[in-house]
Formats: sequence, C-alpha cells, structure tokens
Amino acid sequence: MRIRCEYLAGPELKFLSNLDMMRMMERALRRAEIPYALSEGFNPHIKLSMGTVLPVGLWGKNEYFDLELKNRVSPDWLIQQLNTVLPPGVKIKRVKEIDYRQPALMKIINSAAYAFVLQEILLADLEQLREELMQRPDWKVKSRGKKKDVIKDLKTGIYKIEMKGQGDSVIINLTVATGEPVNIRFDELLDLLLSIGIKEENIIDIYREANYVKIQEKYLTPLEKVI
Amino acid sequence: MKDKLFREILPLVSKPVRYTGNELNMISKSWTESQCRMVLAFPDVYEVGMSHMGSKILYGLVNEKTDHLLERSYAPWPDMEALLRRNKIPLYSLESYRSLAEFDVVGFSLQYELSITNCINMLDMAGIPIHSSDRGETDPMVIAGGPVVFNPEPFAEFFDAFLIGDGEEILPEYLDLCYAVRGLPRGDKLLAMAKIRGVYIPALYRAEYGEDGLFKSLMPLQEGVPDRIQKRVVTDFDQSYFPDRPIVPYMNVIHDRAILEVMRGCQRGCRFCHAGMVYRPVREKKVETLIRQAGAQIKSSGYEEISLSSLSTLDYTGIKSLVTQLVENYGPCGIGVSLPSLRVDAFSIDLANEVQKVRKTTLTLAPEAGTQKMRDIINKNITEEQLLEAVQAAFESGWNSLKLYFMFGLPYEEEEDLAGIIRMLKEVKAVGSRYARRAVEIKAGLANFVPKAHTPFQWHQQNSMEEFDIKKEYLIKARGKDRGIKLDFHNSSTSFMEGVLARGDRRLAPAIYKAWQYGCKFDSWTEYFQYDQWCKALEETNIDPGFYALRARGQEENFPWDFIDIGISREFLWQEYEMARQEKVTLDCRQDGCNDCGICVEFGINMEILEEQS
Repeated sequence: MRIRCEYLAGPELKFLSNLDMMRMMERALRRAEIPYALSEGFNPHIKLSMGTVLPVGLWGKNEYFDLELKNRVSPDWLIQQLNTVLPPGVKIKRVKEIDYRQPALMKIINSAAYAFVLQEILLADLEQLREELMQRPDWKVKSRGKKKDVIKDLKTGIYKIEMKGQGDSVIINLTVATGEPVNIRFDELLDLLLSIGIKEENIIDIYREANYVKIQEKYLTPLEKVI
Repeated sequence: MKDKLFREILPLVSKPVRYTGNELNMISKSWTESQCRMVLAFPDVYEVGMSHMGSKILYGLVNEKTDHLLERSYAPWPDMEALLRRNKIPLYSLESYRSLAEFDVVGFSLQYELSITNCINMLDMAGIPIHSSDRGETDPMVIAGGPVVFNPEPFAEFFDAFLIGDGEEILPEYLDLCYAVRGLPRGDKLLAMAKIRGVYIPALYRAEYGEDGLFKSLMPLQEGVPDRIQKRVVTDFDQSYFPDRPIVPYMNVIHDRAILEVMRGCQRGCRFCHAGMVYRPVREKKVETLIRQAGAQIKSSGYEEISLSSLSTLDYTGIKSLVTQLVENYGPCGIGVSLPSLRVDAFSIDLANEVQKVRKTTLTLAPEAGTQKMRDIINKNITEEQLLEAVQAAFESGWNSLKLYFMFGLPYEEEEDLAGIIRMLKEVKAVGSRYARRAVEIKAGLANFVPKAHTPFQWHQQNSMEEFDIKKEYLIKARGKDRGIKLDFHNSSTSFMEGVLARGDRRLAPAIYKAWQYGCKFDSWTEYFQYDQWCKALEETNIDPGFYALRARGQEENFPWDFIDIGISREFLWQEYEMARQEKVTLDCRQDGCNDCGICVEFGINMEILEEQS
C-alpha cells in the first residue's frame, strides 16, 4: 500500500533541517509500529519520501510525505497511531492512499505559499506598498540559490499577493512558483519585501502555508491531485 | 527571553537545534514542586554531550526516581556564545530556559582534563563566580564528577564539591542532603556534604608542599572531614537504574542510537588505561535485563540502531547470546546492532559479521603497540598471530577498510617498537592484498601516550613534545610512500597540556584561570586549542609545566591524588609498574585468579560475572 500524508510541522520544529525532519518521522514510524516497507539490499531503509524541502527557520502548515507499507491499514488508524507518538508540534492531518505509479511529490509540487506575519504596521500602509510594487516593471533580487551572483526577476513567478489583518498583526501571503518559470525561495521573497520598505524587525514569523500542484489557474493540494 | 531567542538569535547561528531543547522524551519537572534543582552542565557542544551515556543515566534517574529536578545545558559554540553575551542573555538550561545561576546545583561532567576551560566559561556566561571562594549564599553549588575527578586537585579552586565514582550511587544522596541543609549558611552546608561517602569538598583541605616543590600532604582543616575519599561503586549493577526513555535529539549527534551498558569496569589490566583502573570491579548485566531494556528503549525512541557499550564489550560473558537475540528481534524491522569496540581476535570478527549483515564500513581494532615486547610492557595481552588472524577473518568476510589504534611515547619504548608499528601495518596490508576482494585501505590512529593518575604508569615521565615530534617524523619516514597506509597523529602540544593537568595539583589553578582569561576554550577542538596562550598563562603564574608532565617520580613520592581511594592499592600499581619494566604480563583475574589489586577486599564487594554461557 502506498499512502500520501499531509502534516503540520509546527513552529517548535522550525530549526530542523530536512534530514532532521526525515529522521524524526522515521523514528516516529518505528515507535508507532507502522508496518512500513523496507527497501531491498544490504542497508534496508524505510520507503519514505519527503516532499519539497522546508527551509531551516520556517515552519509548515501543510507539508507532505509519501510512504510505502507492507500491508493495508486504514488511514484513520495510521493517523491516530502516529499522532500518539509524534513530538509536540507535529501532527498528521490527512492520509490518502495513492497508486504506486503516481509520480513523487518532488515531481508534482510546482508552487508554494509563504506567509509573512508582521506587527506594528497598518494594513493600509501595506496596501500602499503593494501598489508601489505593482508599478515596478520588474522585481529583481539577488539570487539566494547556488548561483549567488545572479540577479533574478521574481515577477513572473509570483502568482498572488494577498494581505489580511489578524488580531494586531498583518499577514502577507505570497503564492509563488517553485521550479518553472522561476524557482522562488522564501529568502528571496524576504529580500523583495525588505526592498519595498518593510522592516525586518516588524516580521515576527514566516511559515509555509501550502504546497500546491498548480494546473493552469487551479491550485490543488498534493492530496487532491493524485493522478 | 525564549521569544527573543527564537526570533532574533537562533536564526543567526549555525545548528540552532543545539539550543532549542524540546526533544522527544525530554523531562520538564515542576520548578516549584521539585526539592533540589540541578542542571547537568556538559562542557562541550550539544552533539558531544548528548552522546554521553552517564548523563543519560543521571538525567533519567534524578527526574524519574527522586523528588529533585535535573535539567541540561551544553557549551554553546563560539558563534552562539558571542550572540548570547552581546544580548546579555545568560547561559540557560534546555528544559526551562532558566539561567544556570538560578539552580541550586550546577554539576559538570568532566570527561577530559582540558574541558575545564569550558566549565569556567559556562559559569562566567551565567554570571556565577568562577572561584568557589567567591560564591555567596545565593550562588549555586558548583560540583563535578566523571573520570577526570579521580584527580580533582588541579580544579579544586573552581568547584564546591567533587562526586567521586559511580554517579547513580552518589548523586541522589548528594541532592537529598542539599535539600535537607537548605537555609543553612554555605559553610555549614559544605561541612555536611563532606560527610557523604565519595564527596570531596576541596575548601575543607589544605595542601602542603616540601621545599623541593614536591607535594607532601592534603590536610583536613576541620574535625569530621575525612582524610581519604573513597569512590562510590554500584554494587547491584544488574538492577541499577538505566533509562528506558532516552531523549531523542532532532539533530544528528555523535552517538545517535539506543545504548545498552552491558558491563561496567574491565579487568584486562592494560597498564596505560585509566578507565580500566578506576572503574573496577567488573560488573555485568543479565542478558534478559538487557533484552528488556532494549525493548523499552526502541519502543520509546524509535531508534534505528542499538549499540552495546562498555570498556570491552567483547569480554561480556553473555555477548553471543545477547547479540543473537537482538538480531533476531530487531533485524526484521531494519534495526541494527553495533559493537563500538572489537577485541583483537577471530571470535570478535565472527560476531561483528553477525551484526553487520549490512554495510561493511571501517572495522576498528586496537593492538596499541607494534611489538610483543611493548605489548607485554603495557599488558595488552594479544599476540601478533591473533591480530593477523582477526585481520584475515575481516578481509575474508568483506571488510576492506581497517582502522588500527596505536600509542607511542610509551614507557621503555625503543626505535624497534616504533618500527614495529609500521611493520605491523605493512603486514596487515599484505594480508589484505591476499584475502580482500578489493584494494584495501589501512588507517592508523597514533595517539601520544599520556601517563594518568591511578595507573601503573603514574610514576613515569611523559615524552616531551620534541620527542613526540621526532617519533612522528620517524613513523612517517618508515611508512615511506605506501599510499594504502594512512597515519593519523594527535597534536603533541595538546597532549602535553593534557599531561600537565592529568597529574597536576592545586597550584595549577591560577594558570588555568589565566588561560581562560586569555581566551582558551574548546581546548579539545584542534581548531580552538591555543598552546601559546596556555604557555603565556603558565609563565605568568610561574609554573613549570615540565614538573608535572615530564618528570619521573620516585617510588615513595606522595601524589596529590593518593587521597582518592579507587579501591586499588598503590602497592599493586607499583608492582604492575615493576612488572612492566621487566616486560612481564599480568593476566585477567577473571580467567587467571586474583591478582590482589585490592578492589574486592577493600570495598567488600564481588565482581558480578554471569555464569559462562555457551
């Protein structure tokens, strides 16, 4: 049986690297006595594959992994077993069976939404800043990826900029491309926000809101888009 | 504070997970409802400290079995230290994020002599006075335990108390007393503590030295203070506490696996080995106890590997039966078993084969010396034949990378002994070319021998840095162009300082303090060790380091550590030293009958050895 899991990687775990997160999940699978499948060979490992890398320093509301099992189990049972043993801050939200032929998460996720939580700034002022941003012909920042000296234009890769008030803070939600036409990293978005006059000390939290499979104008979660 | 840490500081440091705590199985006890509040301070980074078995035992024991509380703190890496100091955040514990200064007891685990500078640095980062004499009524009791405190004297000025011997025996009793004497003046507390067996309160003693500069005696300053401190020993080792729910770190620490302590102590009697002398007698756990502990740990941790730990795991009587059962129970779920150290014989290789059905990475063996004469001197009772047999078995069963550990600068060492190391390496490689399926890689770890207190070589002079360096050159030259043999040396200046502290006395404290003021910390990390600063500190405090490290001692000389009673008589150690000079071996008393080292008689205990199992 092959399953896809959607989970919360809470703020408590935001400093974990991708490898730390994967090790944490594997250990939870063992504690929960999930009938995971092992790979063949001299050094068998759990057939677990994580979705796109959650950057160190960010937490994730909706993250994903795929897992192969030796035998069939009910998704509800699995959620319950795992949630009993996972450390505080991590929670399996949804589980869905998927076909063995379906492509890996890394292949299908092509968009993500990042949320920047700001304090001591008015929504109206932010709307103003957004207007100014929209006027600019390009949104150029220095690449934070491997090619450090390259200047990147983020404009074609930023699909949506949404803002809303929440309590005494404001959340900027940016839905962006991960891959084609341009791979946008959260720290490049941060640089962009700083370049339009947002102050770093006003940003109190950054998290990944969602991972999407974008098909034309539709944003599907990896659980909805399974073919 | 935590909020500022998470938002402003941790995003800027390397490996922030070192400083967040909140790991699986962490225990957060109520601050107000706990009697005595202690923080276990480990004077090295998180990933080193989290690998230390003794800390895991004490953490579980105090938190689960007593009304006291035990939290953790590790030495922050210099990038984090700078940020904490700049932001005026004191060094804190990972459980409650409280400053170390808020605890009743700050306990350091001293695993290595040079970690003293990190202890001082950690105290300073929490604003705790560094010298015991400067601490007042509201300051914590600063204590230390671990292998280094079998000679506590060089560190005496910095600690209020030393706990000597097996921590699980003594720490709960110490904390009970701390709670009982709360409210008393500090001086009275110390006096009360001095009455617990195994607790050494340095402020209650005065050291005397002769005109020749030699140590004479350590005198108790008050009535009721013992003149000898007897180490504490766990007697019913099989039933002693061991954590079923170890903390599971998020980051990759050095030993990131479930641990079973199969045995404590070792009676092989290698004459250079400090641990082998101070942790006697041998005590073994029952196989069924270990199987149960493995089950509990795997269930609570989800670890992918179980490691069998002790000073000499292959000497554990039940080893075969234990390994077979563990492999049977856990192999099918992909959980492996690992043996940290292998004995040099074919049986060990067979057993290693059993547990390593998987990847055959590097196999590690420790012949320690290159000639039979030298191995007889250090009482490492293996022959070249046994080594070559073991090596052949390893190559035949698929290993093609071997690491061999040696020491040099050993007592009575001659050129031929150094040549012997290289000759042995070449022979091992030749066996490899004959029996291995691929090209073999031989690595040799060559450690500088540092004589330690409480061992038969405590009378012997250490090689000088120049001697070490000349010998190192010789070894490299003798190895020649053989690319398949890699030699890995230690830093000779680090070994020199280690040697000074290992057999030092109270007079070293000002130099240690000064070295810290000059920026010495993380001295066990090559990239941070500053020999020139240590030299400056020693010079300015008028200390001749050679007096401690490079001087041969007479049979009758009193040692600053003699008052620590490890259960082995000085006569036995001297006799062993004589035997070394005569190149005579002393066999393991488990097989060969009692050698009168004194431990069983003096402590009125017996070795705990399992019935021989087939």
